[in-house]
Amino acid sequence: MQVVGLTTPHEVYVASKDRKFRINELLVIQDPYQGDLIGEVVESNSYNRFIPLSIGSGIHDGDVIESLKHLGYSISEDEINIGKVKLLTEANFPIVTGCSVRLPTFDEVRSYLLKGRREDGLLLGEIKNTEETAATMDHELKGLCEIYSRGQLYKTRNVPFFLDLRSFQQYPHIGVFGGSGSGKSFGLRVIMEEIMKHRFPALMLDPHYEMEFSERQDDMTEARDFSQDFKKFQIGEHIGVEFLNLSKRDLLALLSSVSPLTEAMSSAVEELHLRGDTYLSFSNRLELLTEALEKGRAKIEQGLKQDLDPMEKDKLSKMKELLEKYQNIPLPSVQGIAWRLRRLYNSGLFSHDIKPVKEAMMQGKLAVVQGPIWLLQVFSTYLLSNLYRLRRDYKDGELKGEAGGEYFPPFIIATDEAHNFAPKGRDAATKGIITEIAQEGRKYGVFLVLATQRPTLLDETVTAQLNTKIIFRTVRASDIATITEETDIKAEEARRLPYLPSGDAFVSSPLFGRTVAIRVRYPHTRSPHTQNPLDEIQVQRESAEDKLFESIKPHLPIYAANFARAVEDINGATGQHYEVRTLKEALEALVEKGKLKKQSSPLGDIYLDADF
Amino acid sequence: MLELDLNLRQKFEDVASKMRLRLQQRPSIKALRDTIADRGIGTFRGSQKLDTQNLLQVVEKGKIVGVDGSTNSSKGPFPYIITLQQALAKPCCSDPKGITETDALSPLTVEPVIGEDEYRELVKRNLACLEVKVALKAIEEFWPRLILLDGSLVRYKIEAPQLWEKLKSRALDGDIILVGVVEGISTNLISQCLKDELPEVIYYASDWEILFGLLDVGERLEIAQGLFKEGFRTFFMRSSTDPKPIGIDLLEEQQIYLSEVANLVYTLTPRDSRGIPLWLDIVDKSVRITDKMMESLLSAYLGDDYVELIRPKREKREL
Repeated sequence: MQVVGLTTPHEVYVASKDRKFRINELLVIQDPYQGDLIGEVVESNSYNRFIPLSIGSGIHDGDVIESLKHLGYSISEDEINIGKVKLLTEANFPIVTGCSVRLPTFDEVRSYLLKGRREDGLLLGEIKNTEETAATMDHELKGLCEIYSRGQLYKTRNVPFFLDLRSFQQYPHIGVFGGSGSGKSFGLRVIMEEIMKHRFPALMLDPHYEMEFSERQDDMTEARDFSQDFKKFQIGEHIGVEFLNLSKRDLLALLSSVSPLTEAMSSAVEELHLRGDTYLSFSNRLELLTEALEKGRAKIEQGLKQDLDPMEKDKLSKMKELLEKYQNIPLPSVQGIAWRLRRLYNSGLFSHDIKPVKEAMMQGKLAVVQGPIWLLQVFSTYLLSNLYRLRRDYKDGELKGEAGGEYFPPFIIATDEAHNFAPKGRDAATKGIITEIAQEGRKYGVFLVLATQRPTLLDETVTAQLNTKIIFRTVRASDIATITEETDIKAEEARRLPYLPSGDAFVSSPLFGRTVAIRVRYPHTRSPHTQNPLDEIQVQRESAEDKLFESIKPHLPIYAANFARAVEDINGATGQHYEVRTLKEALEALVEKGKLKKQSSPLGDIYLDADF
Repeated sequence: MLELDLNLRQKFEDVASKMRLRLQQRPSIKALRDTIADRGIGTFRGSQKLDTQNLLQVVEKGKIVGVDGSTNSSKGPFPYIITLQQALAKPCCSDPKGITETDALSPLTVEPVIGEDEYRELVKRNLACLEVKVALKAIEEFWPRLILLDGSLVRYKIEAPQLWEKLKSRALDGDIILVGVVEGISTNLISQCLKDELPEVIYYASDWEILFGLLDVGERLEIAQGLFKEGFRTFFMRSSTDPKPIGIDLLEEQQIYLSEVANLVYTLTPRDSRGIPLWLDIVDKSVRITDKMMESLLSAYLGDDYVELIRPKREKREL
C-alpha cells in the first residue's frame, strides 16, 4: 500500500493492487519525515483501467469478459484499489507522496479503539473492519461477544467496542437514533443488558411491552441469564400513584396528560384539591359539586326545607356548603375534571404506589415500567420527579454536610420513543423533568438513555445534552440533517446512513473524538413478541386442524350412509356445531392437507385415515 | 459560433454533397453482394461465438498472445524530435507480465543524417521490428496457440522483412497461428476486381467503403485465394454491431484455420464495440505511451529549459 496523488496534511489517497480498503479501518502511514501517522479510511474505491465508466464503450459485453476468463485472463485482476484516508490528528505538513502504508498492530492504535478500563465498559459490540488489527490484540480482549450477521452467529473477530461507564460523569447521556428495522431496539436491549451486568440501578419506560429480559436466546452458546436482574411493572397493575402524596402540580400534570386542561379547569383543580385529600375524598367532592351545580341552589334550598331522611338531608346541606364555597366554578369544568380523574382511576393508577420500583432500583436492578403511552407519560412524570428528587435531596444534603438523609443511588433512565417524552416545539408532561435531568442530572449521577426514530422531533435542549450518540440506519433526510448537525459525523458517513445494515451503527462520542463504526453484539435475551404474525396464524391454523383431525379420527371411515350420524357424534364429542355441509368442507380441507384420503365408491365418497 | 462566412458555407455545402453523392452511387446492398459472389471475389460466411467447450479446446493447444506497439514523438521542429517506441506481447492469462521491447530514436542520433520523410519511414520500420521481436520472444516463452498482431501481416513483411521471415518460419514450425487484425482497412481489392461494374465515382473505392453496412453482424467475406498479396489470405468481417468491417490476415499456409480464427475473433469482440477483439484493446491500453508520459519524461530528462527550446510556438496559443 502506498500514498498516491495529491496529499494534504489531513487527507491522503492510498492505493493498493491486491488489498481492498475497508471503510473505517485504521492504517499507519509511514511518512519519512513525520514518522508514523494514523489515519482512517473514509472512502474506498476500486478501479479497473480496462473497464471504463462510459456506458457506450462496448467493453461491458459480459460474454467477452467471460470468454477471456476461459482463456485464462480475468479482467478483475487488473483492478486497482484506492482508499481515501483521513488522518486522525492533523500532520504538520502534507504527507510525502509515495510513502508506504501498512496495517497497524493493536498496541499502536489501542488509544483510538479502547477507552477506559475494560471492567468499567459497556460492551456494545465490535468495531467494524478491525479484524487484522484485532489479531494482534491481547488474548483476553478476543472473542468477547457474539455477532449476528448474514444469518450467522459467530464470535467476534474484531476489536470489541466498550462505552466507558465511568466517563458518564464527564460526558453524560446517550442518544440512540435509527429508523424501524435499523437494529435500534436491539441496540437498546444490549445497552440495558450491559447496565444490568454492572448492577447499575436503572429505570426503563417501555411503551412497546418489549423490554423483557427473562427469555434467553437459544441459539447462543453462552447466553447470560438476566431474569433476576430486572423487574417488570405494569402501571395500574403493580405500581401506581399514591394520591395522598400528590401535590397540586402533580395532580394538574396527571389530569392534563389525559387531555389538556382549560384555564378554568386548572384553577378549579387548584381550588378543589385540598391538602390531605385521598382519591375518595377528592372524587366525592367533585361528584357532589357536580350534582349540586346540576340541581341549582334553589332546588337544594327547597329540598332542605322538606321532610327528608337524615342522610339525604346531610347530603343536601353538604351540597349547599360546596356551592357557597365554590360559587365561581362552572359546571363544565367540574365535569371535565371528573371524567379525567375517572379515567386515571380506571387505569388503576391510584390503587398502587411506586415503592416496588424504588426497591428494585435500590437493589441495583433494572425496573421496567410498562403501560400505554399516554399513561406512561403521565405516570413517568410523577415517577421521574419523585426518584430524581430522592436522589437530589440525598446528594444536596451530602453537599451541605447534612449527612444521614435517606440514601438513594445514582441511576439511569432509559426509554424508547423519547420524542414522545420530550418533544420539540410542544409541551408534554414529562418534558420538564427530562430537560432538567438532561441539563443537571450528571451532577447527581442521573443519566439518560434516550432512543427515538425521529431525532428531529426531540427537544433540542435535550438532544444537545446527549453526549454519546449511537446512530443506526436513518433514511429521512431531515433526521440525517439533525444528526449531522448534532454530532461529529463526517459527510461521507452521513451519506452512508441510509444504507447501514441492520445492527450497524456509528458511535459519536467526545470521548473518542471521532465517529466509530460498530456492529452491535447479539443480545443475550430476546423480546417476548418476536414471533411473526404470519407464523402465528399458521401455527394457530395447524393446531386447529390437528384438533379437528383428532376429533374426527374415531368416527372414520365416514361415507354417505353414516354422514349424518358422524356429524352428530362429532358434535357430541367436541361440542362443535358442524352441519353436513360444513363437516364436508372440513373433511375436504383435511384431504388437501394429506391427513385424510378420499376414495370413490358406488355409494359415494368415502373418507379414510390417510395412514390407514 | 457567430455568422459563418457565406462563401465558406457555400463551399462546404458543395463538398459535402459530393461526398454524399459518392455513397449514393454505390449499388444496392443486394446487387453488390450478388456481384461479389458471382464474380468469385470471395465467399460470404457467418461466424459463431465459441462456447466454453470450444474455448477450452483452444486453451489446451496454447495461449493466446496479443501484440501491439506504440509510438509517441515529442512535438517540435525537425530534427529536435525524440521518438519513444514500445512493443508488448501479452499472453491472455493471469500472469500479468508480458514481453516488452522499447526504443528511443531521434533524427539527431541517426547516422548518416536523414530528412524528415526518411525519418518517418525509419520510425515505422523500427516499430514493426520491435513488434516482431516481442512476437518472437513470446513464441519462445509462452508457446502460444495464436498470436493476434495489431495491423496487417503484410506490413511486417514490408517493414521488417528479415525478422518477419524468421517469425513466419517459427510460426509454421510450431503450428502457431499468426493473425493480423486490421482496424483501418486501406485496401481496394473489391473495386479493382469490379472496375467495369461500378459507377465511375467509386472506381477506386476502398474495401471498407464498399463493405460498409453490407455484412450482417458476425458475417465475413473471405477474399478468394490469389486475389490478396502473395503468401497471405485475408477476410473482412463485421465482428460487432459497428457497420464498418475489420480486416483479418492469415498466412497462406495457415488458411485451414480461417474459420477457427474468425470464430475466435468474433467471440472475443464485444458486441457493441468498434469491432476489435477486447484482448488487443487491453494490450493497446497497456502499451500505449501517452502524451502525459512523454511530457513528464521530457521534463525529467531533457530539462525544462530545453523543453522550452523545442516547444513549437503554436502550442503557446492562448485563444
